[in-house]
Formats: sequence, structure tokens, C-alpha cells
Amino acid sequence: MLEMRGIGKRFGGVVALRDVDFELRAGEVHALVGENGAGKSTLMKILSGVQPPSEGEIVFEGRPVAFRGVHEAQAAGIAMVYQELALVPHLSVAENLFLGRLRPLVRHRELVERSGELLAEVELDVDPRRTVASLPIGEQQLVEIAKALGRRSRVLVLDEPTAALSSQESDRLFAILRRLRQGGTSLVYISHRLEEVFALADRVTVLRDGGRVATHVLAEVDGERIVRDMVGREVARFGRASTRRETVRARFDYGGADLARNQLTLHEGEVTGVAGVAGSGRSRLCRTLYGAEGEASLDDVPVRSPRAALERGLAYVPEDRKGEGLSLVASVQANLAHAVLPRLSRVGLMRPGAERANAMTWTRRLGIRPPDPEREVATLSGGNQQKVVVGKGLAAEPRVLLMDEPTRGVDVGARTELYEVLDDLAGRGLSLLLASSDTDELIQLCDRILVFRHGAVATILHAPFDREEVVAHVTGARAVA
Amino acid sequence: MSPARVRWRELLARFGLVLALLALILALSLLSDRFLSVPNLLNVLRQISINALIAFGMTAVILGRGIDLSVGSLLAYVGVVTATLAVSGLPAWLAIVAGLALGATLGALSGLFVAYAGIAPFIVTLAGLTIFRGMALAFTDGRPVTGLPPLFAEIGYGTFLGLPMPVWILLAFLVLTRLLLRHTALGRAIYAIGGNEEAARLAGIPVRRVTAFTYAFSGFAAALAAVVLTGRLNSAQPTAGVMFELDAIAAVVVGGTSLFGGRGGVFGTLVGALIIGVINNGMNLLNVPSFYQQIVKGGVILAALLIDRILTARRT
Repeated sequence: MLEMRGIGKRFGGVVALRDVDFELRAGEVHALVGENGAGKSTLMKILSGVQPPSEGEIVFEGRPVAFRGVHEAQAAGIAMVYQELALVPHLSVAENLFLGRLRPLVRHRELVERSGELLAEVELDVDPRRTVASLPIGEQQLVEIAKALGRRSRVLVLDEPTAALSSQESDRLFAILRRLRQGGTSLVYISHRLEEVFALADRVTVLRDGGRVATHVLAEVDGERIVRDMVGREVARFGRASTRRETVRARFDYGGADLARNQLTLHEGEVTGVAGVAGSGRSRLCRTLYGAEGEASLDDVPVRSPRAALERGLAYVPEDRKGEGLSLVASVQANLAHAVLPRLSRVGLMRPGAERANAMTWTRRLGIRPPDPEREVATLSGGNQQKVVVGKGLAAEPRVLLMDEPTRGVDVGARTELYEVLDDLAGRGLSLLLASSDTDELIQLCDRILVFRHGAVATILHAPFDREEVVAHVTGARAVA
Repeated sequence: MSPARVRWRELLARFGLVLALLALILALSLLSDRFLSVPNLLNVLRQISINALIAFGMTAVILGRGIDLSVGSLLAYVGVVTATLAVSGLPAWLAIVAGLALGATLGALSGLFVAYAGIAPFIVTLAGLTIFRGMALAFTDGRPVTGLPPLFAEIGYGTFLGLPMPVWILLAFLVLTRLLLRHTALGRAIYAIGGNEEAARLAGIPVRRVTAFTYAFSGFAAALAAVVLTGRLNSAQPTAGVMFELDAIAAVVVGGTSLFGGRGGVFGTLVGALIIGVINNGMNLLNVPSFYQQIVKGGVILAALLIDRILTARRT
């Protein structure tokens, strides 16, 4: 019923997709898998009208189509359910379901009645007059799906719908998705969790580096095969001589809402990787250890705030550099000083020389370009902004550096420079905890990798790593095959 | 954007205000022969001193991404309390010190509500605006406090080395605020919080304490303005300072400090207060009716924000 032929997409000089074929049959669940940056989301954005393709064509129900926007795709019957939900939290469920299609004078009773019918289709028993914000995230997801159904969508694209769901919520979602399939709706299911793919989908298409590798009927393949298709190459480990001393420097004890109680021993000069799909607890580990959420203790003493963590020799490089890492309107120098204000001041007065020296040290060390500490951070490229975030953490001269996705959105050159600095610091005794969704990064830098699944450490792998094995554990293929 | 263009923009963003002020002065000295005289310029400085003092405190609050609407009422309350203390026999200087401490304390109270209770600054200080006004009126039963010791007149009308006392106070507080904002760890923390509160928290900055401090500082500034105003009027009025908060915010914003925090400074605020003061003075000299003066003042504020927006919008 739907065919995408020879789809290509370029952003400036960067090729995001090349010559991808994708076919979706009526009443089929077609999984789309691949590593980060493989092109899954871009392909689906093209399908749902968010972006036009640079080349190729889409044939929907026998007719070639070229959507000029999301509304055109929706009108044709193709809807996308995003990872970050597109609901308005403070409007009611009913209003959200009919958002953008409300008449100028809203007739609430009619709205509520029609909402009830839609909610019944996704087996969600809530009062349509409740606000979306009052629902748990799993039910919000169902509202989002009901909203797509209300637009009589025949193709539903779900982008990692279970990332934020508990396993019960996921099971419920699957039951509903299966029923929709029986009713003739076609589903595209993007996921990093192979167990889900096997549980739900009929066929799977694997993307790698913007191209299609294979399309399999799931009954005919196993998880190992899919992982091999996803990975397809070997990665060399970073050439650091392993000089680490087996000295226990820090002992953590972390527990959180659904993070299993756990302990972790970090060693001087050791790089510990944290792998896992979104929502697996990977990011939460860093935030918990740093005292930013949940509860943690270091050498049996609780860490209650980021400040306490800093004082105990921890520093943190957050995942979201614009939201949590930087003051964009401040200079490079100011940002590099923020975590070490007490050290750079005497009786409250800033020591200009010390502040300048601190800025110059990290600007030079990390190769921040342009090398001008007075420069406003907002004017730097993404890669250089990221170097500032890392420098801000390193300026605190930590014993342990916690990093969450330190190279997301960073170009290859800046990434290599960053790796070299991290490798060098590890060689001098810094202990690194590196949470990343980039398998190559983990393999290159880490001495061991903790694999998170469903909020707990599922496996610990040790260097040298087998790339396929790492990916198999992260996606849960090991548990399937 | 080419580096040369960036530099050009930076320069314009930094010195554009001063250029605007100079252009304004040039225009007014052509339009009125009375404008460009030493007595008149000193007059302008004296006229802006009260607004500028309040605005310096407001600058710290706005840099930290807050707002303080309570300053006008706080000024009235501190004014009547200080004057009453002085009239009732306390040494005048001690009454003034007590008044300044009261201002800082009341400001800190607002700060506690904002920083620790997490209530929006707009709401907290709006409540402060009516509460402090009510307190000022209740304290004096609505009557002004008169019969002040001579120190107040000295502050209001005295001169030192040819400059009026209010101008000296203004300069001293300018230096103090500049020192605080630019040369202390506390000032750096204020900018950091205004730039990105979550990043500041993760950098170990005591966000709540610093935020509360900015309101205490703003309260202190308003109290300082109260002392000067009491001196100028040689009495304390419980109805003084109505709408002063808006003039102060206008000076801060015209002076290039971002309402979103993290960007700007106290010199800009001085220039902003001067621009507003010069426009007021010029319109008086040109006999522009006061109704129209208000329209012009509002227009200037809008124009300043529009220019700021154009200068900053292109950055990513």
C-alpha cells in the first residue's frame, strides 16, 4: 500500500540517506532498526511530511505523493507518534484529541462523547475531561495514538514508543497495536529493543549509515543476524596503554524510583562505559551519582546535591548542553569558571589572573575554536560548545568525571580531539564514567561497559570488546536469541 | 556571519547605547539653548539619581532572571520608618542605617519566597507592592512625616566639590554595584543563574541563596533611594514612589540588560536612566505637555527593546 523508492536526503554536504527503498503492506507491523545516525528518523520524517526528500519518490495507495507538510500527510492518512509527545499538557484529553480541528465554538459535550469512542479504541478508560498532564506517561502515549486514529490514519509511525514506559505499559501498548494491525492499520515501528521487534513486528528493515542493508521476515531470522546487519564493521580500540591501578577510589551506592539498588566501584585511570537504550537508566545513573536526582552515596556518605558531589571530587558533563550545560549568553571564560568560582576568588573577589589562566588552560587543552575566551558561547559551533561543557567539568579537577553523551552532535574532528584529551586524562589517573548511545565511542575508550536494561545493570562487559556482542546486549538480542 | 560582522555587531551592542545618548544630547542642545549648560546637566543627574539607584538594584535582580515590582512601595515604607525613627530622637545617621537594613531585610523576604518557595517573582513582588504600600500608609496613618533633622536636607540639597550629594551617592553605588556584579564570585553566580539556572545548579552554584540575595540587594537599593528622596522632599511621604518600579525596569531594559537574564550590566542601566532622564528634561525645556511626554517615554522603551532584539536575534 505504501512504497518509498530510492529515497535520498542531504543536509548541506552531509548525506543522511541514500537510495533507500522501504515498503509497507496493509495490516503489517514493519520494524525499522539501526544504530544512532543510521537514518531511521530522517526516513520517517520524510514519510510523515516533516521534510521533503532530496531524491526518490513515495507511492501511497497506487498514487505518487509529495507531502508539503505534516498536515498533508495527515490528511492522506499517515500519522507519526513522536518520542517526545506532541500533546498540550494543560488541555483536556478531549481537546488534545481534536487539536487543530476544533470548531471556533467548542461544543464540549459532543467533544467528550466523540473522545470516548476514540479512547475505547485504544482501551483507555479515562475521563476525557481530565488534563493530559494528570495522566501517567504510558496513558499519554495512548492518547497520542488515539489522536492519530481520530484522523483516520491508515499508517501509523511510532518512534521508540516504549522508551519511557514500564514493562506493563509496554505490554498493554503491544496488545493495542496488534489489534490495530488486525483492523488493517499499517504500523512502522522504530525501536532499539530487538526483543520488542521480535514480539511485535512481521518484517524488519535494517538501516546503516543512511543506507538500507536488508529487509527480513522476522520469522526467518534471529537477533544475531539483525545485529550483524546493524553493525557491519569493526572498530579499533583507542590506543591507550592500560596503566590503570586497581585502587578503589570511589564507591557508589545508587538507588532510585525504578533504578535497582546497585553498587559500582570506580578505579583510578579507568574508563567505565554505560550503555543502554533510551530509558534504560543510562542517563539517570550519571544524574543520580552527581546528586542531581534520586539518592546516591559515595564511600558510604550520601551525596545530596551537585555542589556536594563537586566538593567530593565529582564533575558532570550533562547530555543536554544547551538546557543544562551552558549559559549561552555568557563568555567561554565565564562558563569555564562557573563550577570553580570558589577556587577562582579570594574573600569573594574574583582573581582576574586566575580566571583568565583557567580559561586559557582549557581553551588550549581542548582546542576550543576560536581560541578567544571572551567569545560568547552562543556564537561557537556545536562541537566547540561541547568542548566548553567538558572543560567546565574538567576545570573542577575532579577525581571522577561523569559524562552523558559527550559527543552527541559533535563533528568527527572535534570528537577525535575530545577522545585524545579524555584518554590522556585517564592515563593520568582520572576515573571516567561514560554514558553513551554510541557503541563505537564506548568500544574505543572504555575498559569495561555496564549494559543497562530496564533500569538495572544487565551485563558487564570487559575490554577487548566484540562489537556485535555489545550491540546484542544493548538491544536485548542476547536475551532473544 | 563573517568575523568582521560579528565584531561590528558586538561593538554596536556595546556602545550603541552611549551613541544614542550622545545623539540625543546633540539633538536637544540644538533644539534648546538652555539644555547644554552645567546647571541643567547637573539638574538632570540629580533628577535621575533616585530612579538610577533603584534601577541599579533592579539590574542585579533582572540579570538573575527575576523582576522586582515591590521597590516603589518598599521605598515609601522605608522612607516613613527612617524618618519616624529620626524624628523620634534616634541619631539621624543611625536611623538611616536602620532604614537601609530594613530595606535589605524586606527585599530578602521577597527573595526567600521566590527562591525557596518557588513562587514566580512577578507574583511575589506584586504582593510586596501592595503589602509595603499598605504598611507605609498604616504606619503613618496616611500622613507625611516632617520635621526631620538637618542631615536629610544635607543629603538632598548639599554639594561636595561642586556636585550635588545625590549624584555622589549615585556614583558611589554605581561603583559598588559594578564591583559586585563584575568582580565578585557572587556577581558571576548571578550572571550564571540568569544565563541558565539548571546549568548553574549543576555547576554547584548555590542558586537559591544567590537568587534571594539579588532581592535583598534590590531592597537595599530602594532603601538608599528612599533616603535620598526623603532628603529631597525634606519629609517622608507614604504615597511616595508610586510607579517607580516601572521607571527602574525601563532604565534597566533601555540600558540593554536582557529581561531573560544573564546579559547586561549596571553601566548600561546608568545610560538607560540617563536617556530617560535627558528625554524628560528635554521635553520639559521644549514645553511638551506631560501627556505627550508619557507617550514618548513608552515609545523609547519599545524602540530600545526592538533594537536589542534585532541585535541579538541573529545569534544562534
